[in-house]
Parts: sequence; C-alpha cells; structure tokens
Amino acid sequence: MNSKNTKGVLHQMWTAKGAVLLIFMLFLSAGIFAQGKKQVSGTVYDNTGSVLPGASVIEVGTKNGTTTDFDGKFSLQVAVGGAIEVSFIGSTTQKIQITANSNNIEVRLQNDGYALAEVQVVSVGYGKVKKSDLTGAVSTVGADDLVKGTISSTEQVLQGKVAGLNIIRPSGDPAAGSTIRLRGGTSLTASNSPLIVVDGIAGVDINVVQPADIKSVDVLKDASATAIYGSRGANGVIMITTKSGTKGVSVTYSGLSSVGYVTDNLDLLSANQWRGYVRQTNNMDAVDYGGNTNWQKAIEQTAISQSHTLSINSGKADSGFRTSISYLNNEGVIKKSGLERISGNVSGYQFLGDNKEVKFDMGLFANIDKWHPIDYRIFERAYNLNPTIPVYNEDGSFSSVTGNIYQNPVEILTNRTFDNERHRLLGYFKTEVKFLKDFTATANISLEHNAVKGGTYKPSYAVMEGQTEGGFAQRSYAEFTNAQGELYVNYNKVIGKHNISALAGYSYLENIYEGFGAQRGGFVTDAFSYNNLGAGYNYRLGDVYSYKGKSNLVSFYARANYGYDGKYLLTATVRRDGSSRFGENNKWGTFPSASAAWRISNEGFMESSKGWLDNLKLRVGYGVTGNQDGIGEYKSLSILGVGNDSYYDPITKTWSLAYSPKQNPNPDLKWESTEQINVGFDFGLFNRITGSFEYYSKTTKDLLYTYEVPQPPYLVGTMLANVGEMSNKGVELTLNADIVKGDKFNWNANLTLGHNVQKIEKLSNPTYKTDVIYSGSLHGLAGMSGQYSQIIAEGYPVGTFWGFKNAGLDADGKIQYYNAANEVVAESALVDADKRDLGNIQPDLTLGIGMNFTYEKFDLGISGYGMFGQKALNATNMMLNDPNRLPAFNVPDDFLSSGITSSPKYSDYWIEDASLFRIQTVSLGYTLPLKYKNSKVRFYVMGENLFVFTSYKGVDPEIGLNAQDGINQTGKMDTTGLAAPGIDRYNNYPRPTTISVGLNFTLNN
Amino acid sequence: MKIKITAALLLSMLFTVSCTDLDEQLYDQVEDGNFGNTTKEVDALVGGAYSSLRGFSDAISNNFPTCEYVFFLNEVVSDEATIPTRGTNWYDGGQYQDAQRHTWKADNRMILSAWRYNYTGIAKINAIIYQINKSSLSETAKAPIFAELKALRAYYYYNLLDLFGNVPIVTNFEDTDLPTNSTKKQVYDFVEKELTDAIPYLTSNVVYSKLTKNVAYSILARLYLNSQAFIGTARWQDCIDMCQKISGYTLTPDFFANFATENQTSTEIIFAIPYDSKAGTVGNYMNSMSAHYNQKLAISAIGNYPWSANGMCAQPGVYSAFADTDKRKKCMLQGDQINLATGSVIMMDNGEPLTYTENLTSLTDAKENEGVRLAKYEMKAGEQWERDHDFVLIRYAEILMMQAECYVRLGSPELARPFLQLVTARAGEEMPAAIDLDFIDKELLKEFAFEGRRRTDNIRFGTFFGEWWEKGTTPAYRAIFPIPSTVLTTNKNLKQNPGY
Repeated sequence: MNSKNTKGVLHQMWTAKGAVLLIFMLFLSAGIFAQGKKQVSGTVYDNTGSVLPGASVIEVGTKNGTTTDFDGKFSLQVAVGGAIEVSFIGSTTQKIQITANSNNIEVRLQNDGYALAEVQVVSVGYGKVKKSDLTGAVSTVGADDLVKGTISSTEQVLQGKVAGLNIIRPSGDPAAGSTIRLRGGTSLTASNSPLIVVDGIAGVDINVVQPADIKSVDVLKDASATAIYGSRGANGVIMITTKSGTKGVSVTYSGLSSVGYVTDNLDLLSANQWRGYVRQTNNMDAVDYGGNTNWQKAIEQTAISQSHTLSINSGKADSGFRTSISYLNNEGVIKKSGLERISGNVSGYQFLGDNKEVKFDMGLFANIDKWHPIDYRIFERAYNLNPTIPVYNEDGSFSSVTGNIYQNPVEILTNRTFDNERHRLLGYFKTEVKFLKDFTATANISLEHNAVKGGTYKPSYAVMEGQTEGGFAQRSYAEFTNAQGELYVNYNKVIGKHNISALAGYSYLENIYEGFGAQRGGFVTDAFSYNNLGAGYNYRLGDVYSYKGKSNLVSFYARANYGYDGKYLLTATVRRDGSSRFGENNKWGTFPSASAAWRISNEGFMESSKGWLDNLKLRVGYGVTGNQDGIGEYKSLSILGVGNDSYYDPITKTWSLAYSPKQNPNPDLKWESTEQINVGFDFGLFNRITGSFEYYSKTTKDLLYTYEVPQPPYLVGTMLANVGEMSNKGVELTLNADIVKGDKFNWNANLTLGHNVQKIEKLSNPTYKTDVIYSGSLHGLAGMSGQYSQIIAEGYPVGTFWGFKNAGLDADGKIQYYNAANEVVAESALVDADKRDLGNIQPDLTLGIGMNFTYEKFDLGISGYGMFGQKALNATNMMLNDPNRLPAFNVPDDFLSSGITSSPKYSDYWIEDASLFRIQTVSLGYTLPLKYKNSKVRFYVMGENLFVFTSYKGVDPEIGLNAQDGINQTGKMDTTGLAAPGIDRYNNYPRPTTISVGLNFTLNN
Repeated sequence: MKIKITAALLLSMLFTVSCTDLDEQLYDQVEDGNFGNTTKEVDALVGGAYSSLRGFSDAISNNFPTCEYVFFLNEVVSDEATIPTRGTNWYDGGQYQDAQRHTWKADNRMILSAWRYNYTGIAKINAIIYQINKSSLSETAKAPIFAELKALRAYYYYNLLDLFGNVPIVTNFEDTDLPTNSTKKQVYDFVEKELTDAIPYLTSNVVYSKLTKNVAYSILARLYLNSQAFIGTARWQDCIDMCQKISGYTLTPDFFANFATENQTSTEIIFAIPYDSKAGTVGNYMNSMSAHYNQKLAISAIGNYPWSANGMCAQPGVYSAFADTDKRKKCMLQGDQINLATGSVIMMDNGEPLTYTENLTSLTDAKENEGVRLAKYEMKAGEQWERDHDFVLIRYAEILMMQAECYVRLGSPELARPFLQLVTARAGEEMPAAIDLDFIDKELLKEFAFEGRRRTDNIRFGTFFGEWWEKGTTPAYRAIFPIPSTVLTTNKNLKQNPGY
C-alpha cells in the first residue's frame, strides 16, 4: 500500500471498515433464530441505576449462559417458557420467566453493599475489564476524586491521586504544563511521560480533554498492563474515559472565580537596606537612583481567574449524547501572563439492530488556547537590579540603567508583544458490531490536530533585541496531525465457571508535523506590530523557514484472558510494533507480557474470615514494553540538509547555501525496552477499607542517549544510540477508608505512598564507551561556562549532584572544602578527585493524602501532596550570594550577615533538601437540594496552595524534574530528557496561593 | 461454514488495510544517495567544506561557537593575550587560568573545542569526497574538486600537527574503525604530500577565500618555517622558495583595511573565512569577547552594539611594546572610554569609570576595567550579532615576514631588509641598523597581534618555555597539547601525548 498521503490511508480505512460492517450485517440478517428458541436481550442495572457489566445470565437448568457487556447488555437464546437467572457477586440473584413476548428485559439487581469497587470497570486498552478481574497494576480515579480548582492543564487533576505517579509543576505560569512521571521514569533522552489515551485514542495531548468532561482515569502502571501499547508503554499509560450520555436528562453548570497572589518572594535588600549598607561601608562608588523599588513585586500582579462549564446530557436505552462548553481565563501572577481557553465537547452513541448488535460512538473535542508567553529573563533581572532604581522615570518613561543583565524587567514585560494561540481538535468515530454470539468487532478511526501560531513584536524602543534590530517581528505556525485507524475483535465466552476472552487487532498511526515562520527586523514605524513583516528591511538568511516530517507506526496486538470461578485469573498479551523511526536493522519489535491473579478471599478455606476480609487478591505480572519517543524522525539515516551553512562565491560575490551531512547515521537505532515485574495485593477490610500494595522492579535496556563518539572517525561528536541500562525498583501503597459512615456524618480518607529507587546499571557497550556523562549544566551562569553539576554514571540515579563537599566558612568568610581524605582545604587546593556524590534529585517518598467530610448538607475536603528526600541545587542563591554584586547588584538579606567572601562556586554549600508537603486544596461546600426531580445546587469556597511545609530557602522547592531552563521562552515545558533536573536557576515563576468561590448545579428532568 | 467464511473475510480485510511500509519519507532534507549529480549540487557540497571553517557550536563544546576555537587557544597560551578571572566571571572551571599558567589538563574544554573544530572539518570533507565520488561526474571533472578538498583538509591537519602533534590521520568517510595515533613526522609528511599532490590541480588565479595554489604554497611555507619545531629538521630555504612562488598580492596602504567590515576587497589577504550578517554566518565576535559590557556606549550613542563579555585582554607589556608612533597600536583599546551620548567617561555598573589599564591586579581577581582590549577588527554602531568582517587566516605580510625570518636564520640578515621594510614602513616605524631574531620576534608580535598565531611563534623562538606574566617555566612536552580526555575515553586505541 502506498502511504504517500493521509487522505489515502484514511480513505482505505473507511472503505475497509465499511466492508467489514457490511459482512457482519449480511451475516446477521441471514437469521440466527433456532427452532423453538427465542433470542432475548436486555440490560442489567445495579441499585443506583447504573449499568452493570459482567453480571452472569444463565438459562435455568442448562449450561447456556452469558455475561453482560460493558454497557450492561446481554443477548441469549432461551427456550420459550424457560427462565433466566441474573446474578452478580455481592448482589441478590433474580430469576425472570421468558415468554414469547419477552424482549428488552430490564433487570435491576439489589446490591449487597460492599462490592461497588468491584463493579468498577477499568479501561485496559482495546477493551475493559471489571476491576475484580484485573491481573495487572492499575489505579483508577473517578470524576469525583479528581483535583478541583483553578486548573490550567488537565494532568493537574491527578496530582497526588495515584501512588507512584508524580506530577510536578515547576512553575506557577498558567501557560506552563507539568512533568508527569510514573515509577521514576525510564529514559535519559526520551520522553518520560506516560502515554495518554483518550477514549481509546492513543498518544493524544492530554489538554484536548477538559477536567469537566472526564468520567474516570485509569492509570496502567506495570508492564503486564501496558504491554498492549508495546513500544509506547514503558512509562505507563493514562487512560481517560470521557463522559458520554448517561441515562436520563440533565443540565449541569459549574463555575469558579478566584483570586491568586504571590506569598513567597526572595528576601532581597530593600532600597533602605541597600542605603544602610552603602552608608556602613562608606562606599563612594555606589549610585543611589533615588527610588524605592521591590523589583520582584514590580513584575507581579494579583491574578483574577474564572472558569465556567455548561453541559447537557441525554440518555435513553438505545442512544445518548452529551455536549459541553467551557471557558476559562486564568491570569498569572506575573504581569501579562495567563491562559484563556474556550473548549467544547460533543459525544454520543446509538445502538442499531433488533438485539443492539451494532453500536456507534463518536466524540469531538475542540479547544482554543490564547496566551502571552513572558520572557523568563525577567526573573534574573528582578534579582539583579539595584532597589533604588525607580521603575519609571519622572516623565513616565521606563528607567533604564546600563549594565550587564540589568534591563528593567517591567519594561521587558510591557514593551513586547507575544501572542500565541493553540488549536486542538480530536475527533473519533467508533463502530462496534456483535457477531457470532460471542464476538465483537470494533473499528475506530480518529484524527487529532494540534496547531500553534505565534506572533512576536519587539518595537524599536524596547531594550535588547528591539533596539538592536530597529523593531523586530516574528510569525510562526506549526501543526501536528495524528491520524489513526484501529480494527480489533474481542471474544467473550462463559462456559460454566470458565470465563474466556480474547482480543486481536491491528492499528495504523501516522504523525505529520509541519510548520513555517518568518522574522524581520528594521521597521520604519512600530505601528504594524507583527502584522506586516514585509515592512521590515533587515533580512538575513534563516529569517524564513519551513519544515515537514512524518512518522508512522504499524501494530498488531493480541490479548487472552482466562478466569476460573472468579478466583484464578490469567492474562497474556503480545504486541508487535513497526516504526518508521527505527533504524533499517531494527524496524520491528515484539512486546509480550503475562500476568496472573488469585482471589484468595473467594477460596473455601477463607470462609472463616468472611466477617472481616471482604477481598484479598494476589497479582503477579511480567512484561516487556518500549519507549520510542527519544527517536526523532530520520535519526537513523545519513542525510544532507541545509542549516546556516552558507558559503561565499568570490566569482559572483554572492552567498549560497551549502548542503552538508547532518548526523552520524545509525541503522541499528531502536526503541528502549523495559522489562518489569510487578507483584501486588488488593484488599478490602471490614467493609470500610480498600487498598492495594505493589512491588515492582523494572530494568530499561538499550537506553537512548546522544552519546559522545570519538572524532575522528565520526562526522559529528555525538550520536543517538542504544547503549545503557537503568533500573527502577519500588513499592506503592494505596489506601481508602470510610472512617465514619453514617446518616448525617461521613468521613472518608485516602492515602497514596510511593517509594522508588533508581540506578544506572550500565553506560557502555562494546561500541560505545562512556565512563560518565556530565549533566546538570550550569552554562550561562557567570563564571560557569561549560560547567556541570551532575553526573550520569553507573551505580547512581539520574540527577546525582557531583562536586565538592563544603566544610563551612573560615574566619575570612571563604567557603572551605573537604578533600578526598576529608581534610579541610581551601578552594585553591581542590582537585577533581575530591569531588563526590552530593545527593540526588530523586525523592525517597512521594505521598498524596485526602480527606472528605460530609455533615448533612455541608462538605469539607482537604488534599495535599508531598515529596521527601530529594535534593535541589539552589543556583539562584549561589549566584546571588556573590561578594562581587554589591552595590550595583542586589543581594539576599542573608548575604550581609552570612559573611561570605568567596565568589560563587558550585558545591554542596548550595544544595538543599527540597522535601515538601503542600496543602493543595481545602474546600468547604454546601449542597442545596432542589424540589425539582433530584436537582441540586452546591456552593463552595476553596483555597489552593495554602501552605507549603519545607526547609528550602528558594521561592519554591518544587523544581522541574527536567527543566534545563525550566521552561523555555515560549512558556513551553521541556518534557524530554533529564538534562538538568532539580536546579533552581532564576526561573522560578512563583506559584500563587488562590482563593476561589464556586457554584455547581445539576438540573434533572 | 459461515464462521469460516466470516473469519477468512475478516482476516483478509485486516491484511488489505495492513500498511506495513515503514520507509521514512523525507520532506525537508535529502538522503545522501540522492545528491551531488548536478554542478549546482556539487558546488553546494564543496561550499559546505568552506563553511565548516567557521566552526560550530554544540552541547559538547558549549564554548565560543566559531573558528575562534583555535584562535582563543593559541592566543591565551601565548605571551600576547590572557583571559583573567574578573570577580565571578570568566572562572569557568579554571580553564583560562590553566591556559595562562601553562598548567592545562587534558579535560580543558578549550583544547577539546580546538580538536573537534579541526576533526569536524576533516570529517565533513571526507563525507563530501565520498558524496562526490558516488556522483555521476567524470573522473576528470572530479580530480580538481578532490584536489581542492584535500588541500583544505591538509590545512586542518596542519592545525592539528601544530596543536596536538601525534594525531590520527583519517581520510575515508566509510571507515568507522577507531583510528590510532600517527607520529608527528607522519602527519607532517601527510600534510606536505597532500598539498604537493593537490597543487597542480589548483587554480593559479587570485580567488578570494578559496583554496588556490597561493594558499597551498602559504601553508607549505608555514610548515617549512616551523619544521624544526615540528620534526627537528630546519627547512628555512624551502620556506623562502615556497614564499617566492606566491604572487598577486600587495600590502594594503592602510593596515586596518585588512580588518574593516568590507575586508574582502583587501589586496593583501591570501586566505580568509568569509562572514556576512545577511548570510546568517554566526561567530567571529572576538571584539565582543574582549570589550567591557558598557563599551557599546563608546561605539553608539544609544548603545546600539551587540552584547560584549568583558573577557580576553592583552597581557601586561604588550601595549607598551608598541611605539606610540606605530599605527598598529590602535589594534588595542586603552585608557578612558568616552560615552558618545554624554562626552564624558563611561561608568561601569559599580560606579567606577571605564578606563582600560595595561596592568592587571592578578590573573585570578582582575578588576572589570583592567587589561587593554582587542579592537583589531572594526567595531561599528548598529552591527549585528552576526558580524560582517571576514576572519583573516593568511595575509601577504606574513609571507614577507617568513622570508625575512628565514634569511636572518640563514645568516643573511641584510637579505631580510627589503621584506621587513615594506612592513615597518606601513606601520610608520623605523628600521634598525642591524636586524636580529629579537627584532623579528617583536615585529611579529606587533604585526600579527591577536590574529591567533602567536603560540607557534613563541614555540619557534623558544620564548614559550620561559617565564612571563603569571607563568613560570614550561616543560618542553607542552609545546603540543594533550589529546582531549573524552576523546581518549571513547577511543581506547589512542595514546596520550608524551608527558601528559
């Protein structure tokens, strides 16, 4: 098949799906009625009216039976005059007589009580299973348990909610995202972010879905669960299921208004403290500019934010739909920053056929973000500027004092225009066809589109680039298309106590990215902003560009499940992935897994413990998964390209573009593979407490890294290759307890704990020799060009600080150090051999905790999260405590009393324990029931980020796990690689404390 | 039966839609097999060999991003220039202090950068030769192209011989075996043979910035001039002979015309690396590496001049080595720097006046304003970060000076006089009654100050091993640099230079 364009592929897929459908229809219409028997179908509900999947439906007195599907529906051939028996663990059994007229039977089972969690259905990729039948490590968070508040990026709803899942926001910038890490991350260069799957569509942007549209989130943690996603499963999988039409008709609204403010700034000298210092030291050169400015406060603002979501839901037995629209406008606490988003979602389903053999599902998600990236260089300047410099001159113009890294940060924020806009779109259409009684075929076509356009203007009067370029304008456009087609068949069969299911499928994915942009300087007037690039007269090579690339991924996958009597459960999966990004010699990879579970509590010999032990299940799993994100397109090939390699032709006296080889080709390039063993227990006690405990051990081989290769013979000094090996081992505990269950007062608490130990096992192989990789670059800090603070080396975790150990200050205020023999020496006596392990950025323990109280109509919720044991390099502090700074540059209050006289030098003097516990949200609500059909209104007040317990001295201890410069100038997180994690260097956008009031109502009809 | 039919159909459907084509499709780049077949494409390939002379910047050598790799290293270890630590700035792990004191170690990043600059250029040329070899050009058409590329490659090997001595010789792009060291003599012979073999194919015309016959003669002349230092065999007469083959150049009346923004019109420049801000060429900003942050106010009233880093300056004694009448003395900035907007002396951030002094407090703690600054190339208002002046590698004055030096060394100083006279007359200096090597050495300093070649002269004159400012005596093995430590780690076949 020719894969030249997406259209062709999609077209073929549509055609294929149509053909498959047609065949099924023909087959079904051929008639499947048998003599004297009748096909009956129906739906089973629990006592709350929700559909009940996995209920057993058996023709009385026979072995003829089935189980309800995930829509609670069943279909069975039954002798007329006979009866069916519908049962479910923990529920009463019902018997229903079948007459000639019986059809569309509705059965409502009365729930015994405890089994609710067991009823829960979990998405596992290309299908669902009951939580009780799971054999892998999967955590589920329902809509009610997601983090609420001023959410700017969807992953925030999971913060602290899943054991082993760390979500770290290195910044309070509403336009910045988070780093997501499950079980420690597995890669040096590749993305360590879990695969995001929305309604079965893999690899999409999590922000395509808004928090209000989420029904539940399932986090697949171990390899036995994620292996079905093969070469993309190594960092775990986050499966998001969105709300679709549920039974009944309802209209809901939720809205929130909030005020955010900065509580923590660095304590730098005020103008008066500065003047005091100058008087004391009798410094004749110091220039007092007469002002009184707190430069940190000068760039900050009080952030006013709001969000509103309105949704309509309508569901009947055969069809349903849901639409929602939401708007948010979250201001940032730094002037000019913020995020505005409007988003919409439409989804619906429709059953067709006498026995509902065919189901159509569709969904469309769309949103538009607008934001104004700020220039992160303002923070360093806000720390540098002399506090006596006023923000404005007397004539109202911005003050401007010449100096190195000394521009007025308020001017930088004010005099530049940055307008960015992102459009996200995800649409899918899914068809499920039941055939041959036990089979379901599914075809799912989806398209994700993500486009970002940017406009920048730095007017001729703006400092730095604006002035030197005489006005500088930039436009850019980039888009990404992710087209996928999936075709898979599920088989489900219950034979007595044997429960068999199987899945086989194929998927095709095509990613295309492309973009273009232009920039120009030299504008006669600043009137056009970035809207008329042609008006600029300064033009350079490289001022216009465009690019395009494509990759595809072809996969075959299969899964088999076997269960006996609900006690013994086995799962095996295999996926075979072929990726165009892989090298010629390694185009295809196979990712197998197997797991087993034993429900000990269902055994006869456990009868005596029934009074207190509701559930006890042991799970064991093993699998191999991959990570292919670190391989960009075309990395395996020997290619020629045009860079800024222009050359001069002395004959024509013109410049032309050279074509040069760009990289060392690596035809062996392939995915990183992670082997993981997981052992887990699930338990339920006293009808009150549920929980699970996991132990895992994973080893990642063929680590992708841009290794240094010797020159000669290599063309360039680095090469992307699969070399090293890394391990992560850990334990996780999840607990949920209904401490008090009463008519008026309820108290529920949940706790997640995670502990992970990471180690680099190997960095060399026969071809590539590496003793140590220096990382944690300090380049760009004064006097630290080409210097590194961390190592990646065998036997250590990623992010290990490596340097000199300090021995405190001597009498002259010089920092003293320990040499290798642990003798105290001066800085000048240090040699490389004195460097040592100074701790690392990996937390020993991560914790999430939540409590919910309800008393009659009041509810109170508290949630918090913590990370303990991780170290951070407070490079901001290191650079600010510099005796060379005063009087021109500001310093911390502490500096004057510290007596430091050494110039900044990297050592553990500046490494701090960054352990923290953050009170994330506290909310108090009051729910008012309305007379009308179960409708209700809830009012609430909420506080976010109310307090952080930490000993860290910087602005905030929560520092990006892989933020080389935290966030780049466009406000985008660098989510790949672990280049310079845990370094606080001038890039701390403060995290606001936020107080909000909100209103939710649901009107039912 | 029906089941089977359905299953078969279903399976066949699966495979009909199975697109399993995993070949990568390129849109904005080309695979190496598909390029180099037209004259234009060949020109674009050969042009890449020249553009690599400008150097590059990457994550390994996050240092100065240009051809200055070699320039900085050669300057900072010589008696000409220094990069003192100023407060917090320019410590950078002590790499510049080590360079000044001649105590550099194999992990010094300046040394790694110089190594990688040359070998990247070599590897690129090897790749281009491989590329053109695969093309449909006739063998006769290929021959002059290969000669030009190999002569350019010999220039890089000359640099490596000068800097590192015992370096591996790699000429085949397809050979990725890890190479072993060649001896200094082998590298020396290789450079000589490659250039000699190429010369018949090279153009005799004066073609700016291209590797012509004249350029090849000049590199050979340099090789013979330093032959005693390289391999212990003096070849003074060979140097003179080679210089005499060079034709088509004259000294420009104005010394600084060679360093002006539009220096490509100079009649003196034999080989240069062209730069052009509109062509997006990055680098060549050593003025910015030297001038104080606030120097821009002395260049433009509104400070419209790119950022400068307040780093490299002249060593004490260099400025005063120039007579005040010497026109070349203006290649340095000394004394009060005047703010064009106010007419008064520029103030530094600490409130003190920006007055460059010849002397420095110390290498480890120099004041912001200490040290006279490099200003040989033109500095002008409105200049872009990408500079326009070309980086001069070889100019005709050097050919004159080489001949003069060789005649002195051969014991005929009077034969040197006509060559020297041309150089000193332009500078406005008097010729001494008797010409000796010391005069030649001083004249080389003054004529070629901050042109990135002083280390080689210091070694040839032996001054390299004696004491000077902030430096004790230097052991003989330090005439070449150590092979960078990361190169040794990744290629176990290489041996470190003796002494290190």
